[in-house]
Amino acid sequence: MRLEGTNTLPAPVETVWRTINDPDALRGCTPGLTDLSPTGPGTYAAMLTIGIAAVKGTYKGTLTITDKREPTHYKIILEGSGGSGFMRGEGTIDLEADGDATRVKWTGDMQIGGLIAGVGQRMLGGVGKMLIGQFFKCLEQRLGPGA
Amino acid sequence: MKPAAFDYEAPETVEEAVALLGAHGDRAKVLAGGQSLVPLMNMRLARPEVVVDINRIRSLDYLTADAGVLAFGALCRQRAAERSAAVARLCPLLGDALALVGHAQIRNRGTVVGSLAHADPAAELCAVLAALGGTVTAVGPGGARSIPAEDLFVSYLTTSLDPRELVTEARFPALPRGAGWAWKEISRRHGDFALAGVGVVLAVRGGTVAHARIALIGVGPTAVRASRAERSLVGAAPSDGLWEDAADAVRSEVEPDADIHASAEYRRHVAGVLTRRALVEAATRARDAA
Repeated sequence: MRLEGTNTLPAPVETVWRTINDPDALRGCTPGLTDLSPTGPGTYAAMLTIGIAAVKGTYKGTLTITDKREPTHYKIILEGSGGSGFMRGEGTIDLEADGDATRVKWTGDMQIGGLIAGVGQRMLGGVGKMLIGQFFKCLEQRLGPGA
Repeated sequence: MKPAAFDYEAPETVEEAVALLGAHGDRAKVLAGGQSLVPLMNMRLARPEVVVDINRIRSLDYLTADAGVLAFGALCRQRAAERSAAVARLCPLLGDALALVGHAQIRNRGTVVGSLAHADPAAELCAVLAALGGTVTAVGPGGARSIPAEDLFVSYLTTSLDPRELVTEARFPALPRGAGWAWKEISRRHGDFALAGVGVVLAVRGGTVAHARIALIGVGPTAVRASRAERSLVGAAPSDGLWEDAADAVRSEVEPDADIHASAEYRRHVAGVLTRRALVEAATRARDAA
């Protein structure tokens, strides 16, 4: 499943870069991320509870940030498994100045398997997009006026 | 295929059910027909701690037709609605859509209200409620409230209902007098969730379209009204070109997602094709009441 998009955040590139490298901001803004603790340089142990309505799964895994080109690019790798399936995802983030704001271009490629994929196939792409949308809305609020 | 352990409650009145939901909140799920909930529980994708079975609340098993509105109690089975003479007379769009909900065995147990509360993006009944501007009645700790379709469906399997609320009734307005209707959908196999589907209501007065409703399933996170396409129809004279333009408007306003069954482009294209076919059929059924 491939997803991509562009979002504009109301802050300069350097500020956005600091925010998307800040474990607190990531923890606060990633929907369902209940734990993110550093285990090494750029690697974290993550606990994620994702779901819609009554269908919720908890996944335990690792999150790695690599290929950093400060302050405009990194790659993020997420691997996890839980009772209802497993997932592996890779994404890139590119920042570009747009006046006083920053354009964030993102791509993601997710593999989801197990029960949840068999049953939830129809909705996985849409739910993924919705969660990424929530992530950027949260960053926007964090970086917006009065932040 | 056995569910995770859960506590089972079987209230006999709406008040008891609402008290149970109030006490357990989002740890509880309501069981009516169970045609969506039970498979999810058996696969352990859903693990409610408490199941509140409302099947003993006899007062919720009804279907009435009053003042141009069909009211379905929360225990009215889809099959009962499908076979009802009142539904055929007042709201044939609903009858046609019901015939495509799963299979007959599913409709024997599944309820009209349960399908709406589950809010699957491919559920026919959600689109019919949206097309007709229907409402549901929800009873919670703060009393009863009526929720219009456009405020009910939020996203995939997500409604604006509070977990402490019980939907007791769904209300579908009758079609306008003389209006034509059509339901069209396409699925890989009979009984599967539709890849895309559309319900249309069309009324013609004095040679022009007086009323148009178009609602689609399978092309976004919820059932959606195609309001731009609807506006393009009202006031215009029926013609093949008009239907084609409305189909194009639908293609431009839906935002389908891709999945293993069909690409977004395919769904967008099919949504237009089905809309045009539905409009042609609805127009032939519409009696000009001028």
